Amino acid sequence: MTTTTRRPLAWGVAAALALLAPFASVPAAAAPDGHGNQSELLGVPAPRGQGRVIRIEMTDNAYSVPRIQVRAGETIRFVAVNKGTLLHEFSFAPAETHAAHRPEMAMMMEHGMITPERVVNLRMAMPGGHNMDHTAPNTVLVEPGRTGEISWRFDRAGTIEIACNIPGHFESGMRADLVVTPR
Amino acid sequence: MSLSRRDSLRLAGGMAAAGTIVAYPGRRSFAAADEQIDLAVERTRITVDGVTSDAISIGGSVPAPTLRWREGQEVVIRVVNRLNEPTSIHWHGLLLAGVMDGAPGFNGYVAIPPGGTYTYRFRLRQSGTYWYHSHSAGQEQAGMYGAIVIEPARPEALTAARDYVVFLSDHSRESPTAIFRNLRAREGYYNRGQRTFIDFLRDSRRDGLGATIRDRLDWGEMRMDPTDLADVTGYQFLVNGQGTADNWTGLFTPGERVRLRIINGSAMSIFDVALPDLRMLVVGADGMPVLPMPVDEFRIGIGETYDVIVTPPEARAYTIMAEPVDRSGYARATLAPRAGMSGPIPPLRPRTVLTMSDMGMAHGGGGHAGHSMPMGASGSADPHAGHAMPMGAAVSIDPHAGHSMAAMPGMADGRTMGWTSAGTPPGKRALRYADLRSTVSRPSAPAPSREILVRLTGQMNRYIWTIDGRPFGMEDPVRAREGERIRLRFMNETMMAHPMHLHGMFMELENGAGNRLPYKHVILVPPGSEASALLTANEVGEWPFHCHLLFHMEAGMMTRFIVEPTRVGGAG
Repeated sequence: MTTTTRRPLAWGVAAALALLAPFASVPAAAAPDGHGNQSELLGVPAPRGQGRVIRIEMTDNAYSVPRIQVRAGETIRFVAVNKGTLLHEFSFAPAETHAAHRPEMAMMMEHGMITPERVVNLRMAMPGGHNMDHTAPNTVLVEPGRTGEISWRFDRAGTIEIACNIPGHFESGMRADLVVTPR
Repeated sequence: MSLSRRDSLRLAGGMAAAGTIVAYPGRRSFAAADEQIDLAVERTRITVDGVTSDAISIGGSVPAPTLRWREGQEVVIRVVNRLNEPTSIHWHGLLLAGVMDGAPGFNGYVAIPPGGTYTYRFRLRQSGTYWYHSHSAGQEQAGMYGAIVIEPARPEALTAARDYVVFLSDHSRESPTAIFRNLRAREGYYNRGQRTFIDFLRDSRRDGLGATIRDRLDWGEMRMDPTDLADVTGYQFLVNGQGTADNWTGLFTPGERVRLRIINGSAMSIFDVALPDLRMLVVGADGMPVLPMPVDEFRIGIGETYDVIVTPPEARAYTIMAEPVDRSGYARATLAPRAGMSGPIPPLRPRTVLTMSDMGMAHGGGGHAGHSMPMGASGSADPHAGHAMPMGAAVSIDPHAGHSMAAMPGMADGRTMGWTSAGTPPGKRALRYADLRSTVSRPSAPAPSREILVRLTGQMNRYIWTIDGRPFGMEDPVRAREGERIRLRFMNETMMAHPMHLHGMFMELENGAGNRLPYKHVILVPPGSEASALLTANEVGEWPFHCHLLFHMEAGMMTRFIVEPTRVGGAG
């Protein structure tokens, strides 16, 4: 990645997204290590459709549960159903990673990659050959009336956060704890 | 908008038991279900930061008591005029029958004579934060203003443990009449920030002598001054009627959500509002709910309201700062876990210097290229015909203005340049009109059938402020048929911002929010800029449509917005 001294803000954001890892990858199909520190996500992606189903309903702007608890060693298939009228995100990461991600979600909104209700484009080519990208395996954007899912094999204990980082949603209380207990 | 009369009638059924009185510390509150409220208007003396001066109160206090009502309720307010001059009370932002709107000379409403009583009666067809104030001469500035809080019929998704009105106003020890006389007598009377010969030398060093002289000549030709951000100074800035030393304080317990209903009820002051250490979640604008938007600060025009939610995390004092755009002082208040605490007061931000682009003089300059504004082609009469001022094309509102970037375009030589530049600290985010999205999605809203151009015009040095070049009294009314969908296109041809207020109906600000255009009753149009709004003319009547800068309205910046009924006459 080239760095120039003066560049438009968007390039900086693309670069930041790429480095910030769990949410952004250039390209999306890179090895898991390319998505950043997997240990902070307490596990690794599992093949789609696998695992014990945990269903979460999303409304405007809340998750149906304040806390989800799983055991290390389990594979979980999160099924996130959007029962609201707005676009929602189901994603899990340490709270500080979410906090760093939120300004980028705001950028995506400003650049029209997402609207309040819809996903327009999850990847956007920016000047200089960078991409803004929202295709990481620990996050899914779900339009109203639809269902998104993530399968994940947890291998470490710890507590991270489930959050919707669409501007204003987390701030309205759209978060939950994800607790992984030791095996 | 779920505000039809039929809806409110239906809601009214469940309202009979809602007559609870909610008392807030230090303020009187009236809550009533189908009850009568008596409000007397009288001369009084108020004390701000230890200094006592003349004022006019409604209901015995400045600000007037907060009226806490519920959507669907029918309210009756009996106003007694104990002044020796006519008075009036206008319910700012409320949807109601024209005669109840309270603007003398409109909709058949006549000012309340000295000693007289007027009984207002209307059903509340909306919820949210609004306010009420005199619509007679300069009485509003003397203290005739108060908040209206209407609880929604259906509970809101986002609740708050505390709910405070933050009413911003500007108080002068000079009478409104004296101020207006001074403004008429000599422009710049109150402009204490006029540029000096030293400024001239500094600008010459920076820009070259020729450019500086040309710039000065341009300003001279426009009979205006680049530091004219506000035309009256000498105000004390109040929060809920209290000065900076009085320090109005709202209490909280750490971690609680606190809803602040911020109302700019000042006469002449546009404020930049921030809580330096707290992020705000904007949830309402002009009383109407918007999709929650996290920001660090916002600019609030006169007559606008913003509802925000903050969550103070620690048991300490947080300052609420409101700096008028001319930075001639500030209003402050405090959120604290106990009374008597105060937080740090940040240094006043630099005052911006207006540039030629604020006058719409930057013709297609690089800085304004590529702006997207959802403007229909006008195709109508020459918008530049009959200008009172030497103007170029007006610049559209920058949808990205107020964005704090590392290299802020509004900064030059450490000074903030240009009206939209609020001096937002690096890394902080200011609210932009483009951020406001209605919670109500209207994908099938009809397109406007025509566009009405509203030129905001004036001559500063004669203190003449007009719409379409005509002062009120010689106005050319805006006319629409009942149910007609129109676009209002504002073209600000002056170097001051004008908060344009329409009575009786909401405008839908065309801010790029697609099918979620926010409902507004005031649209702040920056200097030399354009803005546009859609509107369905569904309230028959003859509504005031004016600049909410009190002395601009006094000087003539008002017109009539006439909505003609589709069926005229007949027995039914």
